[in-house]
Amino acid sequence: MATPSRSLADDIRGRSDAELIDLVLARPDLARPAPADLTSLAARAGTRASVQRAIEALDRGHLQVLEAVVVAGDAAGLDDLLHLLGTDDRTTVEAIVADLWRSALVWRGADGHHVVRTVPEVLGTSIAGLGAPMRELRPSSQPEHADPDRIRATLAEAPEDSRAMVERMTWGPAFGVLPAAQPGRTTARWLLENHLLVPVSTDRVALPREVGLVLREGRLHRSVELTPPAIEARTVSLVDAAAGGAASECLTHLDELAAAWGADPPRVLRAGGLSVRDLRVTQQTLDLDPEHTAFVVELAYAAGLVADDGEVVPVWAPTSEIDEWTSSEAGHRWATLALAWLASTRAPHLVGRRSTGAGPANALGPDVQWPAIRAIRREVLRELASLEPGSAPDHASLRERLAWRRPNRAAAVLDEAVEAVLRESEWLGVTGRGALSEAGRALVAPFAPLSDAPPVRGVRATAAGGANTSNGKRATRGRADRDNGADTTSNEQGATTPEALTETVAAAMSAHLPSPVDHILVQADLTAVAPGPLVGGLGSFMRLAADVESRGGATVYRFTPESVRRALDAGWTAADFTDTVRRSSRTPVPQPLEYLVSDVARKHGQTRIGGAAAYIRSDDEAVLDTMLASRDLAPLRLRRLAPTVLVSSADPRVLVDLLRDNGFAPVHEGQDGTVVHAETPRRRAGTRRRGPGPMVSPVDRPYTQTLVDGLRAAEATADQRRAEDETRPGPRIQAMDPVVTLSLLRDAVADRHGVWIGYSDGHGATSRHLIHPQKVEGGRVRATDESGHEKSFSVHRITGATTEG
Amino acid sequence: MNDGPLIVQSDKTLLLEVDHPNAEAARRAIAPFAELERAPEHVHTYRITPLGLWNARAAGHDAEQVVDALMTHSRYAVPNALLVDVADTMDRYGRLTLEKEGLPDSAEGTRLVLRTTDRPVLEEVLRHKKIKPLTGERLDDLAVVVHPSERGTLKQELLKIGWPAEDLAGYVDGEAHPIELQQDGWHLRPYQQHAVDGFWHGGSGVVVLPCGAGKTLVGAGAMAAAKATTLILVTNTVSARQWKDELIKRTTLTEDEIGEYSGARKEIRPVTIATYQVLTTKRKGAYAHLDLLDARDWGLVVYDEVHLLPAPIFRMTADLQARRRLGLTATLVREDGREADVFSLIGPKRFDAPWKDIEAQGYIAPADCVEVRVSLPDGQRMAYAVSEPEERYRLASCSDAKLPVVEKLAKQHAGEPTLVIGQYLDQLHEVAERLGAEVITGETTVKERQRLYDAFRTGEITTLVVSKVANFSIDLPEASVAIQISGTFGSRQEEAQRLGRVLRPKGDGRTAHFYTIVSRDTVDADFAAHRQRFLAEQGYAYRIVDADDL
Repeated sequence: MATPSRSLADDIRGRSDAELIDLVLARPDLARPAPADLTSLAARAGTRASVQRAIEALDRGHLQVLEAVVVAGDAAGLDDLLHLLGTDDRTTVEAIVADLWRSALVWRGADGHHVVRTVPEVLGTSIAGLGAPMRELRPSSQPEHADPDRIRATLAEAPEDSRAMVERMTWGPAFGVLPAAQPGRTTARWLLENHLLVPVSTDRVALPREVGLVLREGRLHRSVELTPPAIEARTVSLVDAAAGGAASECLTHLDELAAAWGADPPRVLRAGGLSVRDLRVTQQTLDLDPEHTAFVVELAYAAGLVADDGEVVPVWAPTSEIDEWTSSEAGHRWATLALAWLASTRAPHLVGRRSTGAGPANALGPDVQWPAIRAIRREVLRELASLEPGSAPDHASLRERLAWRRPNRAAAVLDEAVEAVLRESEWLGVTGRGALSEAGRALVAPFAPLSDAPPVRGVRATAAGGANTSNGKRATRGRADRDNGADTTSNEQGATTPEALTETVAAAMSAHLPSPVDHILVQADLTAVAPGPLVGGLGSFMRLAADVESRGGATVYRFTPESVRRALDAGWTAADFTDTVRRSSRTPVPQPLEYLVSDVARKHGQTRIGGAAAYIRSDDEAVLDTMLASRDLAPLRLRRLAPTVLVSSADPRVLVDLLRDNGFAPVHEGQDGTVVHAETPRRRAGTRRRGPGPMVSPVDRPYTQTLVDGLRAAEATADQRRAEDETRPGPRIQAMDPVVTLSLLRDAVADRHGVWIGYSDGHGATSRHLIHPQKVEGGRVRATDESGHEKSFSVHRITGATTEG
Repeated sequence: MNDGPLIVQSDKTLLLEVDHPNAEAARRAIAPFAELERAPEHVHTYRITPLGLWNARAAGHDAEQVVDALMTHSRYAVPNALLVDVADTMDRYGRLTLEKEGLPDSAEGTRLVLRTTDRPVLEEVLRHKKIKPLTGERLDDLAVVVHPSERGTLKQELLKIGWPAEDLAGYVDGEAHPIELQQDGWHLRPYQQHAVDGFWHGGSGVVVLPCGAGKTLVGAGAMAAAKATTLILVTNTVSARQWKDELIKRTTLTEDEIGEYSGARKEIRPVTIATYQVLTTKRKGAYAHLDLLDARDWGLVVYDEVHLLPAPIFRMTADLQARRRLGLTATLVREDGREADVFSLIGPKRFDAPWKDIEAQGYIAPADCVEVRVSLPDGQRMAYAVSEPEERYRLASCSDAKLPVVEKLAKQHAGEPTLVIGQYLDQLHEVAERLGAEVITGETTVKERQRLYDAFRTGEITTLVVSKVANFSIDLPEASVAIQISGTFGSRQEEAQRLGRVLRPKGDGRTAHFYTIVSRDTVDADFAAHRQRFLAEQGYAYRIVDADDL
């Protein structure tokens, strides 16, 4: 670095193009919308929202180092950090600090590392369970009260019980309520008198940061975890076969769901979602446990295979897409499901869970929407992908690892979600026997680097590799893979089309799906066993003609009188039925089945029901014969039911008129008992409009390159303008990005110096003021002006600011 | 993916393709832990249940063997959840053991202790409000004293909450009595010997053998192994007599050594045969004959037809846990669902062989099962249609349209020993009249029954009409044709018993015939469908014919 920086903005201006690219890649939110110049990039990097985002993306190692930098105070040297962290792993800490610098949470000054001013704000007062510094807690305190040696000495002579009291507060929380009872009060009073505790209100006390650090013997964290905890895994075999089996079963479940809902679609609740009752019915149809059922239903929804049909009385019906899906090859069908699952922001494990104040969440309802699940899903799969093929992770250690990666997430919620994702992966066949399947690996390959936004991958992997010697080889290789992956993906983002991805995933799964069988084994107890997934036509015949009794690798069907009747209703004849069974069965068709079919067929259609709008009856059969023969009456479509009865679907009045016109003399018998023939069509909802997803052009290397070039150009222009400005007298205030203005004002508050601001009045005229800002809050700046009066300025009226002098 | 004969379903059933070359090996591998549920001709269905898995544990198999058996023979990948579940379930057995502990200071000399290897398990069960009162002083973290009288009840309750206890407390030897098998001109069949050995090594338990496979001999074999005084509990008096005859014939026991304890006689001898009925008779609200259980120091208690064991006997059995217990049955399926009580009180299954296997070995007769459908005359159809639901079964099954069919069948099989079995007395008498045959019902005296059976056995009479009294434990070795004209609402147990009537080995290796006559399109046919399904599941293919086509 040529000249030492004086601020974050300075630091950023001094970075090379490559370093700027790294920064924007690590914090993509800085690039949207594109900042005008480097100054506003720096200002944006210092905003609370952006810093918060960056900190949330930190893993525990980075967070701990960042906390150490904050606690070490300005100009932290590496040795200070090592001491605070209680580690001598200089390389790791150095690498992590470099990471933090790269993502502009820390900037380098002449004297050491500084945190960006907003970082302590975001981290809050209680960093790593420590209290606020003495001076902040009590501005009136003497500097020597905060002196570690003084504290150590005081502690050494503290009475036993007083010492015990502060020791209880050592690892946080650094606040306490004064005991009401006398002995406790005396104990506390001693601590207060000796400045080891500081009162914050009448009955609350705080442990100052300096005391806390002494008690912690100078260390910031109870346990320092700079490198990710290892994932325990055991090696399992037959992973892909198990995944294939699960995948095949999952496809069957969706087929059955589509068949059930196509015939009898459940209502959409007014609040959206599927009623508890309908879910239970579906659960019985699918013969699964409630959570698994919710998963199948949500999966169908995520893949766009079922949807709200949008009618007046809306129902959940299979969409028109399902027909195409059903007819495609099994691997493709699976790939569609798996990709939809991975991209879905719906969390089926929340179904049935009670949210605060409301009833249990309904499947397909709004309460199941939980965007965080998508990131968790990807992270879980990415962790699985980082293991050797065939390794099934120990769930506890996997949860540990994810908790390390996302220290800011509530542990219980995260753990639950991780378990749910693992369960769902197993159901779907993304994993088999706990390990990522080949298809699962193909699925997660393009996503891995994307979900990996937080600061610079490579360095962290090096750290992991260095520290974890036993896994050293694997970690190094993992990094190499990942780096390649990152490069290729960012370059080829456009090239990896969704279609190509579907192909890859489908191909990976196809090989392991049980091959479909084209035969069944029929037995005397009227069951038929399909020893594998059935080929399309036979599968739908069996679903129609028999009831499913048991599912799994094979399917057991049972022929019952009802199921045979169902097939006959659907237009099968007894002969066709028996023939199909005979052709598909590897075993001779038992006599009782043939008997059953013919017995049901014998009764089937013994009585017949139809609809007619009018009838004609006459005792004179010859008259009816004439009517049937008459060409003029042909449009009436007369049918003879009995020698003396004709029926027509025309209205009785039309019939009477037409017959009269043709020379008959009918009498209208009056209307009763017309039967409406109700045909239940298979319902299909319109396809839910699912575009190709939100159009996000990624913040990738080429984009960033252009951005940085732009920034450089803007910087050059700004420099030129500055040069011009300098030739004129007096401070010249140009219009600035409000973010920059605000950061200038904040700096002024912190450093207690004056600024010139341009301020536009109610008429639009801009005036200049030299002010000393005291507070920036709620869109207003409180400051004293030249005359020494305290005034308040609206931030939105400040056109720009420049530091005094 | 290998090409095994086994398909593991997600509902924990196992489908075994019988025609597969490796089917036999697979069957042997899964038999110890999976219950055969259905055995039709091509694909047999086994089910994995906790009881089955614990049975396997009791027989010395571990989860690894089970998992290995599934993985080796399965055609598709076995669902992981199922493997985990198997391991978890099996792991629960043996965490608790019942042991006898020497106690030199006390009068009894021993005490019964419930011991665990896993403290939380003991804490969990002791917190259970039904189990707490069964236990006594807590010895240490891992053991608690059990009142000896509660041994059975405790096992029952522990099984209910899913922590079956392994009973290692052993048995009293009982009063010794010399008993030997007299194997002159006959021998125990290999499977019978296996059954006896399986039982003896296990200590207590149930032997499952099809009707006609010689369960009585297994009982005799067990007695010869125990060489101790024995109490045999049977379903009824006729069955008691048959046990007695068989024991005199097959063992060194003499008539004087065998006592009968029934409604008619109350003899207590070294080997005593008692009926369930007499034991469960109550006088003034108390069981009048409970003393029998303590009358002697029994070394062995044999339960015939375990699946019919009445509830009070279970309660009494709970107090007999120190004695060796042998259960004999054709099926573990109980229509009241008390299989778990059989497991905890009598013992785990020690031997099981599917009917078909034994049939294939030639020990029971092959059977030809035919359902004959008759159409009700129009008048009866009308009567049936308007009748009350509770009347319908009787109306349909007692239709006189069945009578000519019975006659026709009897004529076809003239000369062959034929049983006509029915439920309704009027109908039975009517049939008997038309066939000119004798009737045995509940009203027939024991003596008359015995006479008719003897006559039937010697071939003096070839046709007998019997009511449901014949369902259990009668022994008609030469009946080769059974015609069922009405039954009790499709009971599976009854079907097994009736089929058993004709499955005894025939001297000339003839095929047995089993006819069921049902009225078409009525509840009779619906119930028949149930029973037929049971037959088919047992591996007996059946045909349905119209009465006109006979």
